[in-house]
Amino acid sequence: MRELRELAVRLLETSDVQVVIGWEESRRGVRPAFAQTPAEAERLVFDQRCVHNLAAYLHPRRKHIRGLGRPAVVVKGCDARAVAGLIRDNQLRREDVVLIGVRCPGVWAENKAEGQPGNRRWAERCVSCPQRTPTLCDYLIGEDSPEPSGGPGLEAQVERIQALPMAERWAFWSSAFERCVRCYACREICPLCFCERCLADKSMPQWIESSPHRRGNLAWHLARALHLAGRCVGCGECERACPAGIPLSILNARLQQSVRERFEFVVSDDPVAPSPIGEFRVDDGQEFIR
Amino acid sequence: MAFQPKITAFVCNWCTYTGADLAGTSRLQMAPEVRIIRLPCTGRIDPLFVIKAFERGADGVIVSGCHPADCHYNSGNYHARRRFAIFRDLLDFVGLDPRRVIFSWVSASEGGKWRDIVDSAAATIRELGPCRADTGDEGRGRLACAS
Amino acid sequence: MRVISDADLRGLAADLLAAGSTVWGPARVPGSPRPGVEYRPLREAAELDLGAGLPFLPLKQVFLPPTEPLFWWERKGTEVRLVPPAPPNRRVVVIGARPCDAAGADAMDRVMGWDYRDELWFARRDAATVVTVACERPADEACFCSDVGLGPSHPRGSDLLLIPHPGGYAVEEVTAKGRELVAAFPHRFREDEQVTPGETAAAGPPRIDLAGVQRWLADHFEDETWNEVALRCHGCGACASVCPACHCFDIVDEPDSLLAGTRRRNWDSCQTSRFTVHASGHNPREGQHARVRQRVVHKFQVFPRRFGRLLCTGCGRCTRACPAGQDLFEILTLVSERALETS
Repeated sequence: MRELRELAVRLLETSDVQVVIGWEESRRGVRPAFAQTPAEAERLVFDQRCVHNLAAYLHPRRKHIRGLGRPAVVVKGCDARAVAGLIRDNQLRREDVVLIGVRCPGVWAENKAEGQPGNRRWAERCVSCPQRTPTLCDYLIGEDSPEPSGGPGLEAQVERIQALPMAERWAFWSSAFERCVRCYACREICPLCFCERCLADKSMPQWIESSPHRRGNLAWHLARALHLAGRCVGCGECERACPAGIPLSILNARLQQSVRERFEFVVSDDPVAPSPIGEFRVDDGQEFIR
Repeated sequence: MAFQPKITAFVCNWCTYTGADLAGTSRLQMAPEVRIIRLPCTGRIDPLFVIKAFERGADGVIVSGCHPADCHYNSGNYHARRRFAIFRDLLDFVGLDPRRVIFSWVSASEGGKWRDIVDSAAATIRELGPCRADTGDEGRGRLACAS
Repeated sequence: MRVISDADLRGLAADLLAAGSTVWGPARVPGSPRPGVEYRPLREAAELDLGAGLPFLPLKQVFLPPTEPLFWWERKGTEVRLVPPAPPNRRVVVIGARPCDAAGADAMDRVMGWDYRDELWFARRDAATVVTVACERPADEACFCSDVGLGPSHPRGSDLLLIPHPGGYAVEEVTAKGRELVAAFPHRFREDEQVTPGETAAAGPPRIDLAGVQRWLADHFEDETWNEVALRCHGCGACASVCPACHCFDIVDEPDSLLAGTRRRNWDSCQTSRFTVHASGHNPREGQHARVRQRVVHKFQVFPRRFGRLLCTGCGRCTRACPAGQDLFEILTLVSERALETS
């Protein structure tokens, strides 16, 4: 904590950084914080409660954050992958942000529902995290910690659903999509959903019906998942924001598995690796093509 | 009455459309259930087109274009191949039978292959039965594409 | 006082289902990654789960579904035929509503019957009987119903109010609809002299000065406070989805063909930029601070000035749902303090 605060204070005092985006204590756990003075930087914290992906504050739709000046951002492994995604997709220039990497111990699953005992378990994504310590960063702080284990990881969830008969897979997802109210919280919080105008908001022609009925919801969730294939960093923010409790992380993880198996592509924090969907190889598999 | 499937075919202008045209001018007999929509390239065929077709009553979809290395725009079909590979994985994962989406390469000279694709697609979809894209009122209807 | 036992309350739900009513109540959601209960139409009385705390989502979906058809249209030559949706023909009974949800529907009644009477809304309201279960204690620190003029056993918006006591509930008949429900199923209720109405959960003293908040909001449309509190907001609108009093909707046409289609209304949220963006591209609420301000000012100044009710019932759901840790009670406390400083 000392290391983080000293670094944040130093950056605000001595370099061209106007805001350090990190976490602070609040009366209900930690939450994103925007330290603009050394005094505010003394409030920054980092621990296993810091689930939020702060990279979402870096994309161009967050005009109110861009207006604060040049930011330094505290990034875990998954957050750094999101920053890399923004750089890769030309939404952010590397030199416009200072990255404070933390050696992430994994984060706790957040329990938002009231009346539930505060039992601590690792977030599913952390159990099978491909890279907890970022390589895309200007500073690296914190200490190494044992790998989070126990509880079902995301990969196990994907396998569980993939193993169901097709009709049961359909039943699972249609009952999940049925709960969707199309608030688009999943999109608004996604660090990689930076489009100024989303396909789902276009009405001429209306590819995705905006009503939360089965037709509109199916089209939305398939399109959302597809647009994140080869881009999703697995931070789970969409699922965390979803007021309807739709297990979006499982859908995202399945597509990343697909991209990995078919195109040998793993989403990393390398900001120049080309997207597997924008690329191709002439010898890509085509077992499904007649 | 026996089930008469509706099949939408999204085909590229340069190869498959010409191949289908050849099948027609060669007077090849084939299943009548396929409606063709011509697009410049398979690279232009967004998976959303397929979703829309299902929403609006299609029971099956054919996506077809130039063989690898034959694309009029050099690489549109390679991009489409990647996109449809993951799209099929996604359909399979959510329990929408991917056998309803048939992907093929049919060149301008392959009228016979187009006939075979159409016939086998029609047979497959007849066997799978209707994929009803009926939302009904209040969105409580069924889009019952599950097998 | 009239009482109903736990078993009889479940029995009442079974009776109503057997009689063909639609019964909503808190129940588990299969497949959800979130533990806890939601208000759901029950298939059987056994699903009713009154011990699992506050549902994450509010009750408003019973009266204002996330999407509903306003009418179907069909064009024949030069004629246009409009077909309105059928009115609800079944009785709806909600068992186990929370006081904050019942009060939310009551607040919405004001706006739905103001300059134009929303027949779809009132048809659903009239067809429904709300049986509320009082809270024994705040669900967690996000709750603040006692600070907005309500409380854990406030009867506003309820037809019957059930106040828990060991083994059952004391029954307070709030409206004629509530009395009718009791009269229709008399065998489920009994009189118990031992139970007195005094045993309700008490509302704590309010921690915020609502009049001061309202005054400050009226005078501080432009204020640095809004920039401060809006920084963390992603504009995701989850707060509006989970709010028992947020009622804004979008109206869309969904054509089936050139000649027929459906006009629907769908939930909407003022927290997203697209809510106010004009066709020209101009957005009068440019910037997240303007949207956060809109949410607070509408609920605590504009709405009460016009309708004499707050558009907030202190359920704390927005605070629980916010993925960025925004806390409405904290904002109100801040505003309340600034009101004191400026008064």
